[in-house]
Amino acid sequence: MSSYSLPEAAPVPAVGRRRLTANLSWALLLSLPLLWLLVFLFVPVLVVLVVSFFQPTLSGFEQSFTLDNYRLLLTSGPFFSTLANTVLSALITTVVTFLAGFWVAYYLALVVPNLRSRFALFIIALAPFFTSFLIRAIAWIPMMGREGVLNSALLSLGIISAPLDFLLFSNFAVRVAMAQLYMLFMISPIFFSLSTIDPAVLEAARDMGARWWNILWEILLPLARPGIVIGAVFVFVLSMGDFATVRLIGGGASTSVGLSIQNFVTFMQFPQAAAAAGILVLVTVLGVVLLLRWGSIGEDL
Amino acid sequence: MAVLAQHERPAEDGVASGGQRGTVVLRGVAKRFGTTTAVDHIDLTIPGGSYVVLLGPSGCGKTTLLRMIGGHEMADAGDILLDGVRLNDVPAAQRDISTVFQHYALFPHKTVAENVEFGLKMRGLPPAEREQRVSEALEFMDLANLRDRLPKQLSGGQQQRVALARALVTQPTVLLLDEPLGDLDRLLQLRMRVELRTLQRRLRISFIHVTHNQEEALAIADQIVVMEDGQIKQVGSPQEVYRRPTNLFTASFMGDNNILAGRVLSVNGDAVEVACDGLRLRANGVPHALTVDQPVHASIRAATVRVRPEATAATDLPPNCVAARATFIEYLGDIVKLHCQTASGLPLIAKLPESDTSWQHIREDETDLVLYWDDADVQLLTA
Repeated sequence: MSSYSLPEAAPVPAVGRRRLTANLSWALLLSLPLLWLLVFLFVPVLVVLVVSFFQPTLSGFEQSFTLDNYRLLLTSGPFFSTLANTVLSALITTVVTFLAGFWVAYYLALVVPNLRSRFALFIIALAPFFTSFLIRAIAWIPMMGREGVLNSALLSLGIISAPLDFLLFSNFAVRVAMAQLYMLFMISPIFFSLSTIDPAVLEAARDMGARWWNILWEILLPLARPGIVIGAVFVFVLSMGDFATVRLIGGGASTSVGLSIQNFVTFMQFPQAAAAAGILVLVTVLGVVLLLRWGSIGEDL
Repeated sequence: MAVLAQHERPAEDGVASGGQRGTVVLRGVAKRFGTTTAVDHIDLTIPGGSYVVLLGPSGCGKTTLLRMIGGHEMADAGDILLDGVRLNDVPAAQRDISTVFQHYALFPHKTVAENVEFGLKMRGLPPAEREQRVSEALEFMDLANLRDRLPKQLSGGQQQRVALARALVTQPTVLLLDEPLGDLDRLLQLRMRVELRTLQRRLRISFIHVTHNQEEALAIADQIVVMEDGQIKQVGSPQEVYRRPTNLFTASFMGDNNILAGRVLSVNGDAVEVACDGLRLRANGVPHALTVDQPVHASIRAATVRVRPEATAATDLPPNCVAARATFIEYLGDIVKLHCQTASGLPLIAKLPESDTSWQHIREDETDLVLYWDDADVQLLTA
């Protein structure tokens, strides 16, 4: 046996106790947001679900169980076409924001050379959010209306002979407006996905003979997929629930489930509003699930 | 090993007169970035089938030079030739040259096999042939059992082998390696540099390897190209560069050289005496003509300096001998480094083998020593 003399060791910390304290502090830190969600999201949604099964009356509802609210909505042609239009608008908005936003994200993440100008440009892309939604929506009217800038310009250039009516108060206008409004929710997650790509990887691909479309298809799109899926979920969910854009830009020529719910509420038809909300949530969740499943095929997210 | 068979034939076979395939010639190659000159009109011939290491500190232009050979950077001036064909305007993908990038640049979402397949796929090879060549390349690099792993599931050494397989599967005649061992821990570095050397011997293609690590360059290269400030300072075999540095930069960059400034005392044929602060040096076999009183630098490798304990008056000593004391004894395992100071205050380092136990009797700042070395071990540098 040999003997060692080492400096006095510090007392070994009680690992178990430390872990317990760590867990406790996490529990405390998370309890506030959890409580917040519980009180302001889960409980209200639950209340809405419950109300959707109540019997409507002229000025509200009475607390007796019925499936009539759902049956009436699901057998009503107008509600179905509203639902279909909502889903179509949301899908178109999602696709358009992806097709346009991907290149913006690509440019910001991989073309702009340094971090500083990258974030400067990213802030500029954020600029629409510096103004309120209402101002942006109202600004569309002098731009896109019958007598608006765009129509006047096209008329004076002789490209059209009569003002284009579909530019405002139409499904087209609503979809263009929503694409513009929600573009950033698509750009940001794709930007962050693409930012993690090592430029040397693209150089290696080029070295091995990859053309730009090979790089797009083989490298960029697969690596950006998590960002694309998250962006698509954001835009899809926001567009599905939208009623303000539909009301202001659609001006009665466009409908959405969100707008129907708002109308039900205006007329104090709370159970019908709740049932429409239930259907909207169900369809939205279905869409999100499909997006997530498509997005993670063969992917270990 | 059919995939790489083209390169595994004997050297005499299918070789154009004057050398093997994979000869890279640089003529007056230059590159500027803004106002800084990265590569300053370089002339260099890299013989086919040789292992050449570009060695220098960061910012010396070695990586830029490599990138120009690979086609990732355009030369501002000069010609780059591969086996006599001018490459300047040939896109990277069409050069018969592959690159192992720094940090490997593997495709993170592709499996090992898909990474290796990529270059073949881009060349439009039919799937069956791709599969066969990928399998052979993986077999060759001992990666067959990892073919379905993603890069992040591999160790550093395995990732490097994937990068090598991916670069070699297209059968290049020149392989460029940019700091290939930089990401590995020291033990793995030592192993992988032997593997790289062996691989190059088996393939008989040219390897051009960039590093800032002198020891790595010495261990691996046929020829070392020492670079500083965009210029080549010296080209030679590891022994030549290590033992006979021709300029001050190489002498100091190769490390472990004692460098002393002095003036020429006398010239007698190729034997030259130099006076440095408090000691006289004598060199023989000096290749360049020197004149008396010319300022020169002398480089003496620490491993050639010998030590004996002896108290003497500094003035009594013949040339290439100096009285000194050890200020610090650095024990490095297989060698012991004595940091000494001469009576006139010059620092000198002597490296002794650990088995030479004489160092054990030396006390720091106490024992009087005489340091001495042979005339042949003094290199006189005028540049």
